[in-house]
Amino acid sequence: MTTTKPTLAAKPGQKGIDPRSPRFGAGITAVLLLVVVGLGLVTPFGATVAQRATEPGFILFALIWALFGWGAFAGVQRHPYGAIYRALIRPRLAPPTELEDPVPPTFAQGVGFAITLIGIVLHLAGVPYALVVAAGAAFVAAFLNSVFAYCLGCQIYLLLVRAGILGRKGAATA
Amino acid sequence: MNPVAVVGVLVGLVAVATVIGLVWRSQQGRIHHTRGTTTVKVGDVPGMRRFARGATFLQFSTEVCAPCKVTRDVLGAVASEHSNVAHVDVDLTHRPDLASQFHIMQTPTTLILDSKGVVRARIGGAPRRDAVRAELDRILIAA
Repeated sequence: MTTTKPTLAAKPGQKGIDPRSPRFGAGITAVLLLVVVGLGLVTPFGATVAQRATEPGFILFALIWALFGWGAFAGVQRHPYGAIYRALIRPRLAPPTELEDPVPPTFAQGVGFAITLIGIVLHLAGVPYALVVAAGAAFVAAFLNSVFAYCLGCQIYLLLVRAGILGRKGAATA
Repeated sequence: MNPVAVVGVLVGLVAVATVIGLVWRSQQGRIHHTRGTTTVKVGDVPGMRRFARGATFLQFSTEVCAPCKVTRDVLGAVASEHSNVAHVDVDLTHRPDLASQFHIMQTPTTLILDSKGVVRARIGGAPRRDAVRAELDRILIAA
């Protein structure tokens, strides 16, 4: 029986990651975001900032935002969900057939961080349903990533390149 | 909102997300035959001097793109099976103008060109090896 080493898809000098790990994390995030949507719908909209800041849906949402930030700035390799995956899930699965570059999932954490931040700001500012809509949108993205392996980070990156916000101009653009 | 309605909204949200996912997945890697009305000029493609005598796989990628690597492997492997087929991978991260010029809305996007640079097929997402081979045969035989 021969064992093939998984293909390292990451850039030289950077370790590849098990591609199932970010999808596992996205699954946890999707479930939590669904809880936020539910809590946001049953909780009466608070009249003061203090009320809105202390409702359970918002607190959970802020926790999710902090986790996105952790993944975006420390990298998905150092995300707590990754640690859970490595400790509990991966030992029960066959080794990955391919390793993937950690940059796209890390970028996707940054996208999640930005979307949830907008929801947090709008909710605290008093916009009705801002929490529910932001959590719903983030849920769809996390769900698609977890269940269908859709790389939203890849899509957003391209759109940002087309808008000229990311990427570099080549030698000849004329 | 009463709890029953909330459950309804949550179920609806999951259902909508599932439909979006299924539709997206069905479109990925699908080979669209183009009417042959678009022609790529050699000068449009960085690093290209002439088109291959058989066909050219023109792949558009970005730096942050997991499926692009899979596509690179598939197209590179199929191209290496023929002496007259080339594979070119353009990094849009450095050439956003090409993204507008070729209407690239997702990466990877692959255009299959014939020997004159006419776009014969367009593939969004990572294609399957056997589908690419079949499409390539169609183009090479008709040439």
